Amino acid sequence: MRTVTAPKPSARPRWMPVPRARRRSVLLSALFLAPAVVSFLLFKYYPLFQAVYMSFFDYKVIHPPGRFVGLDNYAYLFHSTEFWNALWNTFAFFLIYFVLTFWVPIVQAILLNEVKFANKSIRVLYLVPTAVPAVAGFLLWKWLYNPDYGLLNYLLEFVHLGPYGWLNDPAMAKWAIVLPAFFGTGMSVLIYYSAIQGVPIENVEAAKIDGAGPWRRMRSIILPSMKFVIGIQFIAFISGVFLTFDPMYIMTGGGPANSTRTLSMLVFDSSFKEFRFGVAGAISFVMFVIIALITYLQIRLSRTD
Amino acid sequence: MTANNGSIGKRTLAALAAASLLVVAAACSGGGSSDASPGAGGGSASSAQPSASSGGSSADAGTVEITVWDQPTPEDPTKSLKEQLFADFDKANPNIKVTHEAMPQGTNDREVFVTAMAGGNGPDAYHAAHFPIIGDWVGQGLALDLTPYWDSYADNAQYIESSMAAGRIDGKVYGVPNDMYVTGLFWNKKLFKDAGLDPNKPPSNWDELVSMGKQLTDPGKKQYGLTLLGMEWADWWFEYYVWQAGGDLTELQPDGTVKLTFTSEPAVTALQFYKDLKWKHKIVQNNVLQSYQDNMNDIYQGRAAMSNGASGGFGDFAANGLDLNDIGFAPYPVGPSGKGPGQIGGAYWILNPKSSKAKQDAAWKYVTYMVSKEAKERMLQFQSDNGIFPNLLSVRKDVDPSKFTQNVPQDLVDGVNRAASDTHLEYYLKERLTPYVVKAVQKALTDQNADPAALLKTAQDAAQKEVVDAYNASVHK
Repeated sequence: MRTVTAPKPSARPRWMPVPRARRRSVLLSALFLAPAVVSFLLFKYYPLFQAVYMSFFDYKVIHPPGRFVGLDNYAYLFHSTEFWNALWNTFAFFLIYFVLTFWVPIVQAILLNEVKFANKSIRVLYLVPTAVPAVAGFLLWKWLYNPDYGLLNYLLEFVHLGPYGWLNDPAMAKWAIVLPAFFGTGMSVLIYYSAIQGVPIENVEAAKIDGAGPWRRMRSIILPSMKFVIGIQFIAFISGVFLTFDPMYIMTGGGPANSTRTLSMLVFDSSFKEFRFGVAGAISFVMFVIIALITYLQIRLSRTD
Repeated sequence: MTANNGSIGKRTLAALAAASLLVVAAACSGGGSSDASPGAGGGSASSAQPSASSGGSSADAGTVEITVWDQPTPEDPTKSLKEQLFADFDKANPNIKVTHEAMPQGTNDREVFVTAMAGGNGPDAYHAAHFPIIGDWVGQGLALDLTPYWDSYADNAQYIESSMAAGRIDGKVYGVPNDMYVTGLFWNKKLFKDAGLDPNKPPSNWDELVSMGKQLTDPGKKQYGLTLLGMEWADWWFEYYVWQAGGDLTELQPDGTVKLTFTSEPAVTALQFYKDLKWKHKIVQNNVLQSYQDNMNDIYQGRAAMSNGASGGFGDFAANGLDLNDIGFAPYPVGPSGKGPGQIGGAYWILNPKSSKAKQDAAWKYVTYMVSKEAKERMLQFQSDNGIFPNLLSVRKDVDPSKFTQNVPQDLVDGVNRAASDTHLEYYLKERLTPYVVKAVQKALTDQNADPAALLKTAQDAAQKEVVDAYNASVHK
């Protein structure tokens, strides 16, 4: 029997006209997309290329671009103690943030998923603190850390400890700056929680029937299902930590003895205190390369996995 | 997706991409073309010509419009007088329309100003070019060379010499002094009395500073003798101690280059003393890295007995609850050099080099009006009439603030005058060298075992290699 196969839509010859309605739909989509694309190019890519461009000059803001210096600004970075110190601090902050904070919202989301009583209210409570301006939060913590009048030392006094100079000790200052983030996990918890909600209940029930305990279910079903969200969150985490500026700027100003001065602070100081905009551009580009490399590695690793 | 749809999609995307690139290119070329325009590159009054892009745009051909960031805030107690001054200028100069704007919000005034200038939105005249920063701003082309205006300015001999020191660079004038202050030792007379000390006798040397500081320190009451500034501005107050020890942190050479003197004996002596105040004598606050505002709060709340004070800051003390009769002000205690100079600080009016010549002329007229004897005396009279504490130091020789200080204790006026008799500018290249000096100071204040000489040697080596070598090379070019 002869069979007739219907031609695939994609097999239509190129000369055939596209239906008018479809063409309109594509144009309309493009039209709606255009502002976002243009904004993205203007506010993301243009500054990036501009920073790279600036990095090749002894850049003058009033009479740009100033004297062409080639790779001098990059060469300067490699023998600058300030740059290496800031790079080291940035990586140290990255590790501390990772150890102290990254896993916290994942655990909280898993636990929240098990809480059935007042679950909605708890979620709302997680969300409310995100309305508090970050700057206010850092100022509050700075006050808590005050060696003379801060609440932390006051409480420690009851157990005959302290007073500690939380932000005065170069060895302790980084940890003290990161600690508030341990408690500020609200939005991430909800993102992970929604990912857990997406895990098919049948899989969990089947695992239960097969005798898998809570730990096994979490390891074999819940966490693998959250892998994609964790990956995305990790990428945001990397760039967030590398670009973080406010907590150090507000709580220590980069001190003591430059122990909390990060690359993003160095960009700010190089630009607006020292007027070395070319150097600031070079640091920005180095930061971009580092973040891009780590992100690329993370994506590669998660694919291999 | 069909092949055809795909091709149309690609074409559409290509068109979109092209349009986006055109927008980006337009944005890029916008920045570049402004530099190429005839009126944009003016670095001096004579070279800044009016142009269509930056010219004195006005509805009326005879009127020049200028923008100045000097709009008083609603809570400014001198708001009504300032508005009256603005109105009087407008009346006397009908061809100049001044738009008074509040400074845009930002992290700090310096960053906001530089950003606005870079974006082509800076004011035509700006009154807060601080003494230590004006040199860098001139280097960046942010301030117009005012020499042609200055040379023909009738009042140019009326400014005290120390007020011109930072604004005159390579023989050219870039700033008109707007205000200035001198720093000295502040002390709380009440706390002195409570500690059994003579409230009218401040420490006159380092030894007395330490002995009195110990008497004034009472950990039980969370009261301490002397504030230190150890945060990211730590070099600011530390340099006073270097001066008292007989040195400075940098030396400006006759050829314009800079020599670092971090490792000089006075600098090392000063850092050792600074460290001892914290670790040996224990007369300073526990939180040596606390902010400047926290230091001020300690003064206002009677926790700190002695601190740095400035001639322009007594109003803040009074506004924060201190009785002016309980405040003392005198030159700093002298160090091993036998000297204790006060720091001269303040701010200049500068003009925008990118403005048209017509706007610069109008802005100059406005600036000279705002710093005129008449305007300054009207402000002092207004402050006196309304119980507002004036700045006791004037940039003008023909304006005497002490004539307007009938409500101010005479010993404060005398203290300011004595502090102003021996003054010092902040160290050269401060803005760039701050991170290096601050690191050494903070290390000394946070590490009991730190060696001041070694800290300063490390700081000097790094600063020489990373800042000064490049700076000196640029001076020679």
